Order: sequence, then C-alpha cells, then structure tokens
Amino acid sequence: MSALLRFESLSKAWFGVPAVSDLTLEIAEGAALGLIGQNGAGKSTLMNMIGGVVEPTAGRMLWRGEPYAPARPADATAAGIAFIHQELNLFTNLSVAENLYIDGFPTRLGMIDRRAIRARTEEILARLDLAVSPDTIVGELSPGERQLVEIAKALHNEARLVIFDEPTTSLTPRETQRLFDVIGRLKAQGRTIIYISHILSDVARLCDAIAVLRDGLLVDSGPAEAFDVPRMIRSMIGRDLDGLFPPRTAAPGPTPLLEARGLTQPGVLEDVTVTVHAGEVVGLFGLMGAGRTELARILFGLDPVEAGEIRLDGAPLPAGPRGRIARGLAFVTENRREEGLMMEASIMDNLGLVSIRDFGRGPAGLIDRDALAARAEEARRDLSIKAGDIGRQPVKALSGGNQQKVVIGKWLMSAPRVFILDEPTRGVDVGAKFEIYALIDRIAAAGSGILLISSEIEELMGMADRIVVMSRGETTGALARRDFDRERILRMAFRETAA
Amino acid sequence: MHSTVKAAKTKRSLGARAADVFLSDYFVLYMSLAYVAVLAPFLPVLLAPANLSNVLSNMWPLLVVAVGQTFVLAIAGIDLSQGAVVGLTSVVGAMLIATMADPVVLANAPVWGLVLTESGGPFGQMEWGFLLGIAVMVAVAAAIGAANGASVAVFGMPPFMVTLVGLISVGALAIYLTQSENIRHLPDAYVMLGKGDIASVHLGPKDTPQIPRRQIHSFVTYPMLIAIAVALLAHLLLAKTVFGKWVLAIGVNRKAAELSGVPVRRVVVLVFVISAVCAALAAVLYSARLEAGRPTLGEGNFLLDVIGAVVIGGTSLFGGKAKIVWTVFGVLFFVLLSNTLNLMNLSSFQIDMVKGGVILAAALLDVLRTRLMRERMR
Amino acid sequence: MSPLGARTLGRSPSEVALDLALRHATYLIFLAVILYFGIQSPAFLAPESLGNVVKQASFIGIAAIGMTFVLLTGGIDLSVGSVMYLAPLIAGFAMEAFGLGVPAGLVVAVCAGAVLGAINALFIVRFDVIPFIVTLATLFLFRGFGTWLTSSRQFDFAPEMRAFGLSSVLGIPTPILVFAVVALAAHVVLSRTPFGRQIYALGNDAEGARKAGVRVGVVKGSVYVVSSASAALAGFVLIAQIGRLDAAFGEGREFDVIAAAVLGGASLFGGVGSAWGAVIGATLIQTVKLGLVFAGVNLYLQPIMQGLIIFVAVLADSLRQRRIAISRRRHIRPSA
Repeated sequence: MSALLRFESLSKAWFGVPAVSDLTLEIAEGAALGLIGQNGAGKSTLMNMIGGVVEPTAGRMLWRGEPYAPARPADATAAGIAFIHQELNLFTNLSVAENLYIDGFPTRLGMIDRRAIRARTEEILARLDLAVSPDTIVGELSPGERQLVEIAKALHNEARLVIFDEPTTSLTPRETQRLFDVIGRLKAQGRTIIYISHILSDVARLCDAIAVLRDGLLVDSGPAEAFDVPRMIRSMIGRDLDGLFPPRTAAPGPTPLLEARGLTQPGVLEDVTVTVHAGEVVGLFGLMGAGRTELARILFGLDPVEAGEIRLDGAPLPAGPRGRIARGLAFVTENRREEGLMMEASIMDNLGLVSIRDFGRGPAGLIDRDALAARAEEARRDLSIKAGDIGRQPVKALSGGNQQKVVIGKWLMSAPRVFILDEPTRGVDVGAKFEIYALIDRIAAAGSGILLISSEIEELMGMADRIVVMSRGETTGALARRDFDRERILRMAFRETAA
Repeated sequence: MHSTVKAAKTKRSLGARAADVFLSDYFVLYMSLAYVAVLAPFLPVLLAPANLSNVLSNMWPLLVVAVGQTFVLAIAGIDLSQGAVVGLTSVVGAMLIATMADPVVLANAPVWGLVLTESGGPFGQMEWGFLLGIAVMVAVAAAIGAANGASVAVFGMPPFMVTLVGLISVGALAIYLTQSENIRHLPDAYVMLGKGDIASVHLGPKDTPQIPRRQIHSFVTYPMLIAIAVALLAHLLLAKTVFGKWVLAIGVNRKAAELSGVPVRRVVVLVFVISAVCAALAAVLYSARLEAGRPTLGEGNFLLDVIGAVVIGGTSLFGGKAKIVWTVFGVLFFVLLSNTLNLMNLSSFQIDMVKGGVILAAALLDVLRTRLMRERMR
Repeated sequence: MSPLGARTLGRSPSEVALDLALRHATYLIFLAVILYFGIQSPAFLAPESLGNVVKQASFIGIAAIGMTFVLLTGGIDLSVGSVMYLAPLIAGFAMEAFGLGVPAGLVVAVCAGAVLGAINALFIVRFDVIPFIVTLATLFLFRGFGTWLTSSRQFDFAPEMRAFGLSSVLGIPTPILVFAVVALAAHVVLSRTPFGRQIYALGNDAEGARKAGVRVGVVKGSVYVVSSASAALAGFVLIAQIGRLDAAFGEGREFDVIAAAVLGGASLFGGVGSAWGAVIGATLIQTVKLGLVFAGVNLYLQPIMQGLIIFVAVLADSLRQRRIAISRRRHIRPSA
C-alpha cells in the first residue's frame, strides 16, 4: 500500500499561537484513519488545511506523491477529496440529482439531460442503498438521508478520500447503522477514509489506524488493534494545569440560587436536574451534541420545555427570557457574533444594552448619558477592555477576547444573580482566557452563581467547584472538586462506549 | 527632504479634513449648501424670498412623513403604506370636520348621510372640532400601523409585503369612502395649520390684506412649527431614549437584542405605529394646505420620494444606522433639487430622472463612505 | 415514489393536512374564488369570461414571470413599471423611424428592455449597490428618460399595432399566446436548464453556490436582464391592445407585478418560486377583479379584496416557514 495523503512537518499558527505543530503522518490508500482529540486539539485546523480553507504556515502535504497545496475548496474537490460535515452543504430547494450536478450539468440542446443525471444518480443511490427517487427535493429528506446524499456527491465526484467529521451527531441509531454499512462499502471499493468522532467505540470499530492529536501535536498513533478506548482517552488528556488558571478565592455558599428539576423535552432533554448555589461555579461538561447548549437555552427561557421546573431563589421563574433577565439571569451564548454582540454598534451601546432601562429618566425614558458613560467606563476599566473611545469605537474593531469581555460586561452592568456562560473562552487567546477565568472567580466570590459550559475539560477542572456531565440529553454524573479526574469525567461523557 | 515631508503632512491633513467632511453627519447639508451656491449665480430666482418660502413649505410635510419612515428603516423594515395612510386620514379628517358639503359631488359616497351631510361633518360646527378630527386621524393611523406591526412582529411576515397590502387596501378604502371625490369646506382654524403663516396673523384681518398675499413671504409657519416639533421629538426619541436604543439595537442585531431582554415585538409594533402616525400628521399639513381631504394625496411617486429622501440622508435599508438629522438634510436636499429643476423649467418627469440619478449617486457615495469608514478604523 | 408518503410518517393526519393547506394556500384561495363567483353568477364560468380573465392577466403575468427570476435570487426589481413604459416607447420610435413592422418592433422592445435590465445588473453586480436602491433609482431614471423623449406627450402607434394586439391565432388571442409562450419558455429555463437550477441554488445559499463553482455574478446579473425584458414585452403586448402610450403608462405597476409573483409562491427571501406560480398569481388577481365586477361589488372596493387575498397568501407562507423552523430544531436524543 502506498500513501495517498502525507503530511510533512505540517504546521499552522494563528497569530503566533500554534494550532497544529510539526505534524508528520501518512494515510495509506484504501485505509480508514480514525482521528481523535479534544476540542481545540487541532483536528478542524488540519481538515481546513486539507480542504483548502486554511493555508499552512510551514510544512507541506503530498497527495499521491505530488505536492498538494489547495487554494480553494474547489481544488480539494478536483483532487478527489470530499468532506462530509455535520452541517451539510446541500441546496434544500433542489432535487437529489441536481445537488450532485450543480457544478456541471450534462446538457442536450442547452437543456439539462435529465434522463442521464437521473440514471447516474439512481445508480449511485443504489450503491448506497438509499431508496429515494433522484427527483426528491433534498429539503424533504431526513438528516441521515441528507448525509447519504452528501456521500453520493462524493461518489459522483469520484472522490478517493472521504473525510467524515462528526457524521453521526444528528442521526438516529438506525441511520447511524446504515451510515456504517455505507462506510464499510466505501472501504471495500478501495476508497480511503478519515473518520473524526467523539464516539470512540465507533472509531475503534470502523478504522484500521488511529491518530490522536493534543494541543496541535500528534501524541499517539498506530494500528487500531493496538488501541482500546481507555488508551484513546489517556492519550487525549494529560496536560499540565499549573499556571493556566487563577486560584479560586472564595468557597461556595450553602444557599441554592438556581434549581432546575426534572427538565424533560422530547428529543432534547430527559429528566435533567441541576442546582447552582450562591458563589458556586458549576461546570457542565459534555461532548458535541450532549445537550449542553439546549439546556442553557431552556434555563434562559428561549426554548420550550415539556416537564420540570426551574426556580431562582426558591421562586419559579416566569416564561420567556425577558422575565428571567429581570429576575437576575444572564446568558453569554456560544455564538458571540450572531447572538451576543451588535458588531457595528459602539462598545458603550453594547455594554448598555441589557441595563439600558436603569439609565432611563422620566416617563419618556430619556437616557442619562453621563451616568451611562460613567458606568460603562467603569465596566471598561473593571474588565480591562483594551479600547480607545468606547462611545465611538465599534465592537467589531476589538479582538476576540475583548469582545467576549464586552458580552460579559453588558450582563455585569445589570448585576445578575446567576450567569450561564456557554463556551466563554472559545476563539479567545491565552492571555484573555486567563483574564476571563479571573473574572469568573470574581463574579462567584461576589456571591453570584455560575453555570460554566465548556467542552474543554481542563477549563472546567481549573475553574469549577463541581462538574456535571451530560450525554445525549441526560445528566450522567456529577463530581465534587476533590474528586475531579479526567478519565472519570470522560468516561461519564462517553457513557455508551466506556461504561 | 524636510520640506517635502512637511508638504506631505499638510496634504494628508487636508485629505483627512476632506474625509472628515465627507463622513460627517452634516455632509448632505454641506452638499445642499454647495448645490445652492453653485446654482445661485445662474438662477437668481433661487434665492428670492418667495422661492425660499416655497422650498420650505414643500419641505415640512415631506419631512414629517420621512421622519416616520426613518424609524421603520432603522429596524431594517420598510413602510410602503405611508402614502395610502396620508390619503385615508386626510379623507377621514375632512369628513369629520367639514363645515358643509356639496351633495352634487358627494351624495354617492358611502359616508354621505352617515357621517357627512349638507351641514358638514359631526365636528364641523364645534369651535375646537378640528382638534377632535385630528385626534381621530391619528387614532386611525395608529390602528393601521399597529396592524402592520403586529403582522411583522407576531407572524413574521416580510414588512415589504405587509405594507404593500396596506398600500393597496388602505388606498382603496380611502377612494371608496368618497368615491374618489375630494371633501372641501374645511374649517379656517384647520386650514391655518397647513398654510397659516404666523407673521401675517398679526398683520390684520385676513380677507383684506394690506399687501397682496403673494408678497408676504412666510417663513415662520404652522407647518414649520409642527414639522420641527415632530422632528425634534423624533430625534430625542431615537437618539436619547431607551426606546431609541432598542430600535437601533433591533436594527443592528435582532437576535442579540432579543437575548438581551429587548421587548422586540412591542418595539416593532410601536415603530410601525410611529410611521403611520407621522403619515397622519403630514396628512393634516397636506390637506390643510389643499383645503380639502383628498383620497389620492399620497399616490404615485410620493412614497418613492419619501424613501429616496431618507436614503439620501444616509439612513441604511439594512437597519441600525439611522439619524433624524440625516433625514432632515436628505429631505432638504430632495426638495431643493425638485425646486431648482422646476425653476429651470424642466418637466416633472425630467425631474424624476434627475432624482433617480441622485439616488444612485447617493448609494454609490454610501458604498464609498462605508469603505472609508472601515479604513479609518484600522 | 410519492414525495410525501414516506416523509409524513409520525405526524397526525391533521398536521399533514395543515401543512398541505399552507403550502398550497394560493390554489385553495383560487378554487374558493372561482366557486364563489361561479355560484354568485354562473355566467362567470363561461369560457369567454374565463378567456378574458387570462387575456387581461397576461400583462401583469408576463412581467411577474420575469420578476420571479429576480425574487428567486433574493433580489427585487422596482423598475419594471418604468421599463414597461420606456422599452415599448423606444420600439415605437424605432418603428416610426425605420418603418419597422410590429414583430420587428416587438423584438426592439424586448432588446431595449434587456439593455435597461443590464444597467440594473451593472450597478448591482459590479458596484455592489443593493437591488432595492438601484431599481428605485432606475424607476425614476427610465421614466424620466421616456418622458424626455416624448416631452410627456402621448405617443400614437401606427394602426397595425392595434391590429396586432387584437389579432388571434387559431382562435387564441395573441396576448394569451404570448403569455403562454413566455410562461412555457420561463418554465423550461427555470426547471430544465443549468442556468435555471443555478438560480435556485443561488437563492437557497449564495455562499454555497459560490463554493460549488456557480458563477454567482453572471447568474445574479442575468435575472435583472430577464426581468426587464419580460416587463418590456408585457408593456408592448398591452400597448398593442390600446394602440397608444401615455406618460403614466405602467406607473405603480411594479407593486402589482411583485404581488402577483409572491401570490404565486415566490419568496422575497429567494430560492422559492416558479414560472407556473407567477401565472397562477397573476390570473388569480385578475379573476378576483373580474369576479367582483360580475358580483357587482363597488369598483373602488376591489383592491381591498385583492389586498386581503395577498395578505392571506403571505400569512400562510410565513406560518409554514415557522412550522418548518420548529420542526428543524436540533434533536439530540433519538426520537423513539
């Protein structure tokens, strides 16, 4: 077997921070490689380099022995590489056959040769055992079927390498099984596969070889037979925590602030119970698709919940986010750009958005600009947001870390009782991360409760008083600080595989 | 060497100063003044008091409507129904406050006998009846605005289609009410709101003016006071109040606003109410000036004038970028443009052509301004 | 093979029925309207009055088909009312100057329309100005240019023009024939050609289309050319029935055209709509108009009915979108 794709000392750094460092690895033609690692380990960066989205800072790739440097996604497609993401790139208003041919229809007299594309699509769909008509509109298909259409597209493009990135996240067990059958068939046809997943038992079962990334480094690799799930977990973790996190300055109090009991929403959550005490940082861990963000949205009143109750300070919360904000709930979402900030507006306008009513005077709600400016300036100093004139500078001119501080700051100005922080350090550089951790500690020390959602286990172990683990919409365990143990936490998160 | 560096410095600062003017809130005002300065030597009539008074009198009602539209554009919406609301409310007001009515003209109207009779409307004989009439006009407009707003905010319908339906149906209702006739004989006190010039009130009895009416160049007029009051209030509301912050926040990022506790639905409904109420106030000015309620008042290119004027001022159709001062200058420029082209003896259609060119130029300028702004931020 | 059968599993019949009703709201309204007027006055269902409906619908209908192309990309074209006026006018001048016949005049009108559309496309694609503003400006520009050409006087066409407009082929009135040809051609282009399918892809996900190698600029610009050419043809066909062109011709029609396209299922957000839908939308509006005449409803009240129907259709679409959004919420747990 010869190498289909080879990385030679491949590196990529973002503003000096390495995301992938000196990676040398090769994938044999016809093999299936399982690529595992925690969030931020460098898997996405590596995939983006293969896909022509990101350019390497150093090193090179070889494709079938030739140097390979894709400049655009189309270059990867042309080379014969196909990506199956969890967010699918299909046109939902076109038919299955049209989605396969959108970049080049065969025509007769200027018209699409429907018979030809239908016949060819039917043939490909048959190979995938997908019993839908080529004329079906993609919008009418289930997520699993859409994924198979995406694979059909790869087959149509004669892809030699098919890369699956968390493909089973939104699939039912039956659809997952069918996907695995299809992957088996692709292997039998001699196609090469890279399979990325958090579900380690799937990786062990599907792959011939396994590579483990941690902090951008290849830390372990070898034939799949040599890997069991515990070895995979051991390789994925193991970082020194000292100095990455500020010491916690105060112990949590005994009073429960936020109490959620028996939250159940079909298809989303099943009997979830979480309590956050005054001054406590509760870490919420789970893998992709565990239901962490969904829980946060339900706690904040954004999504419906069928059963269960949510109390703050012992009294039930009103429906909807506005009433809950008034009662003292704050929510820093994982999607800063789309849900957190008004990118075009000034820092001051962003800081004042939640608490603006406190600055309205008289029946007309005339804003006391001086009070607002003073308070916003105070928040800026307090959070050490590095900015010029906060009344004029738009938020989009700030760095990611400073933007996140603005999001936290807008909530701080309303003095909330409980903070829900969803991935607060995503896309934030190391220095700003530390500042955000210090801020979390200060908020807790001041007596507020914090629900800290993160997919970085170290972050939670460094900051939380208690960690609650979720998997597939259920809570699968909880650990107090003295019992924190990476392997135990991951086992709870991998429930189905490592039990 | 030294001197060249210095020269480059002054040059850059000159360029920077030019960019300052270009990027300032007052750019359109400067442009209007420059336009007048360039044209004045060739068109001496332009600066004649009679003409200036004419420009101003055309500006006020348009400004009131445009102020309302500014709020809607600020939330990334659009209100196509404003013209129809002007028509309908002018008719509604007129049929309530007319002091008498001609059966020959109006006997076929469905409101004849019900509301309007030969002795005028129900409020026609009351001393302050016209104020009641205005109150009803505002109430009707508010109801239409609320319906528009609710459709957008609650059902998630696109503002363009909702207000297009408003344009079609409200306009038709206005015409239906009077069977396309005008309602005349409005009370003097009401007419005063449209053309009463405050100075001449003190000059003596109106029926025997000492000087021919043409020569009284009214600058301080009721429409002026009303329009300035509306613009000032709107400016305060949009720039200085909690409500205004909410409006702009929704325009910049509706999702973030919602998650931050902004009462999005309520604000959206209110914005459409403001837009319609502004249309009703403009209807008072227009119908008073015309001395009649006319169902077709806001038809034709009226709506496009309004949107054109607001956009030229610099307000963005994507929402979140809106100022009342911009709208004031945009309206001023648009009215000046029409006026000067009129003075040049161009037909109304040639004027349309120039208007089109100006809207395009303004859009291109805006693309340029945004680019400059972005570069400055770096 | 049924596109619905397998997809509707696990939902109650009433939910399926509601989805169907919301999806086909326009057709349901159409059916109701025809039934209602048919019962009110059976004469309404006579072939000649129905033929009249289609003939009168051809004007807005042809332009609405062109507008559908633009709406499919998520754009808008406000200049169609002015193009309806200017393009046939240019054709009229050309016919007068060069002694062209009516068919040649028709070709000139369509070409002139295409050029006007290319002006819109230039500003939208090359200078990146939003379609709403560009076409609002050209609405003024095109009409102004036309009235400058005529000094805002009425333009009289040669008598052959009217003869053409009132002629018929094999008993089918020419306007209906043109309407049918345009509809068929548009349907074929939209559903059978690479260009047509790329329009849909662009409207569904512009970034995705770019990634998939679709030449986004070309496609985006072309739809404005199509829209203006259709508007020019629509104007020409109606003018041919009247024989003259006055300065206000086509004023405000952009809204009728957009309404017809949207009533026919085109979405203002792009990606959804069809040529067939535009035909239905325009015909429905005309049916209501004529039906209300038959029913003796006050002429001035008719637009209110029209407005109501458009409102119901848009409301149905919005409710459907909302239901789709809710059903697409991420499900983590395997649902039973």
